[in-house]
Amino acid sequence: MTNTNGFVIETQGLSKSYNGVDALKSLNLQVPKNSIFGFLGPNGSGKSTTIKLLLGLIHPTGGSGTVFGYDTVRKSPEIRTRVGYLAQDQRFYGHMTARETLRFAAGFFYTGPKVEIENRIDETLELVDLTGKADRHVQGFSGGERQRLGIAQAQINYPDLLIMDEPAASLDPQGRYDVLMVMERLRKYSTIFFSTHILDDVQKVSDTVAILNHGELVALAPIEELLAGSGNVVYSIVTKGNDDWAQARLSDLSWVTDVNRSGVNGWTRWQVIVDDEEAAEAELLRSVLSDSEIMVSEFGRKKFELEEIFLNIVKESNHDNN
Amino acid sequence: MITTSTLVTVKERGWRMGFANILRNENLEWWGDRRWLKKACLWLLIVNGFVVINLFVLPAVMLPDEDVVSMMDPVSEGIRALFQLGATALAIGTIIMAQGEVIGERQTGITEWILSKPVARPAYFLSKVVAHSIGIFVIMIGLQSAVAYGLLWFANGDPLPLLPFLLGVGGLILHTFFYLTLTLMLGVFARTRGLVLGVAMGSLFAGMLLSSLISQLGLITPWSLPNILPILALQIPDPLATVLTPILMTAIWSIVFIVAALWKFARLEF
Repeated sequence: MTNTNGFVIETQGLSKSYNGVDALKSLNLQVPKNSIFGFLGPNGSGKSTTIKLLLGLIHPTGGSGTVFGYDTVRKSPEIRTRVGYLAQDQRFYGHMTARETLRFAAGFFYTGPKVEIENRIDETLELVDLTGKADRHVQGFSGGERQRLGIAQAQINYPDLLIMDEPAASLDPQGRYDVLMVMERLRKYSTIFFSTHILDDVQKVSDTVAILNHGELVALAPIEELLAGSGNVVYSIVTKGNDDWAQARLSDLSWVTDVNRSGVNGWTRWQVIVDDEEAAEAELLRSVLSDSEIMVSEFGRKKFELEEIFLNIVKESNHDNN
Repeated sequence: MITTSTLVTVKERGWRMGFANILRNENLEWWGDRRWLKKACLWLLIVNGFVVINLFVLPAVMLPDEDVVSMMDPVSEGIRALFQLGATALAIGTIIMAQGEVIGERQTGITEWILSKPVARPAYFLSKVVAHSIGIFVIMIGLQSAVAYGLLWFANGDPLPLLPFLLGVGGLILHTFFYLTLTLMLGVFARTRGLVLGVAMGSLFAGMLLSSLISQLGLITPWSLPNILPILALQIPDPLATVLTPILMTAIWSIVFIVAALWKFARLEF
């Protein structure tokens, strides 16, 4: 059976425990087709466990999961015909060259023609910029080169789903950029499911984000929704001048729920939390400017950084668990 | 899957998924370069070294003592060297060679990488059994037995009866296969190489000692085979059943090891 509902990965109550300790607690996940799905979480939150469960490398203690509609336990090898996997820690045969490694990886998917397989290997080596090192033994590769070879072998089969566990962890900024570009390029052919702790990368390329903490899913949303923040709308204003009167005036407005001020080099940064976005759009700036002693240099709805969102969610989750 | 080329996809399904590719890779390890020639020369020295010493060197050295010479038929001693000393040497060599095969790849993460491809778990283990069996049987047993047969023919003046000799070689293959499957299975169950090596070597040496103390053990284990095979290779014993039980039991143990390894490997987590 293959899926028809637009989700490449679906899990229902997927759980894993080791000697009674929960590594993953009842995970319900849906990964849309052709999305770049960022899987976030602190170390030990269950990201790699989830990935290994999806690939059939470990066995669930509860719940179930499907990839392309196939059960991850019973149809694991079949699932892997359409998946490319980049492990967190790349391990290959040290005595093989990069080309031989890719030839070995390609052998799991293709039987021939030989020339076509070699063309595919050349194409993949070029994609990850390893053409010049194709015939060098892998044991002499640096961490970055090994990572790039890992990316190459993960996509040798034109996978419908590319699963990457910390793909940019051991790369320099240029390497990280290259990996993100490869992900962008593959988006139209594949669904990309990747775990990372580099939040900047997630913000740059992901369209959907899930956050795990202590084995529990604590957030799952499109990136825009997550970045918009949860609950109240926050406006950020930067002013100069005597602003005591302005603060009093803003605090009196019925749709303003909180006002915070912080001063830096003579400028004041305001964070005004409102519960009526329409009223704020229409009146907030006017209310501030009605004070002739104040000068406004910045005004706008506050854009959250993913890091801020992530830390808040994890903090709240930790608080709830305690 | 987006494929713009005419690549032909692998057709293996079920337990065979990935088998051919891993087997090809394992065979390359054996036959991909000239290392097979070095191995063949090394085993020529070890196995046929024993044979040459017993056929040509010892009789020459011991000539002055007529009593000893009359007790020792060089051809029988040559056969004993091949099937008794050779069996033990081949078992030791096989254990050393196979001890890191499964556990080494588990520990380095190579197994995880391979199993992330469309590979059925039985295919991973069985491909190793098959590839190493082929390499060991051809280089370490087949070639050496052929050379030894030639040496024995030369020393005897006439060719030895072929069928008993081939049965002896079959027994030698089985004896070595037992230690190959035991070592590979231990690689699935154990967590350290030391344990694999220790248990496999312990089985070999303690087994030899135990079977000399408790003769019944020799019937249900391969431990008596090094003593039985020279007799079998010289002349098929009558009744054949006297040697059949340990041979049959060795085959059964080997199958049990494979089944146990497959059972456990299906449950391992990576």
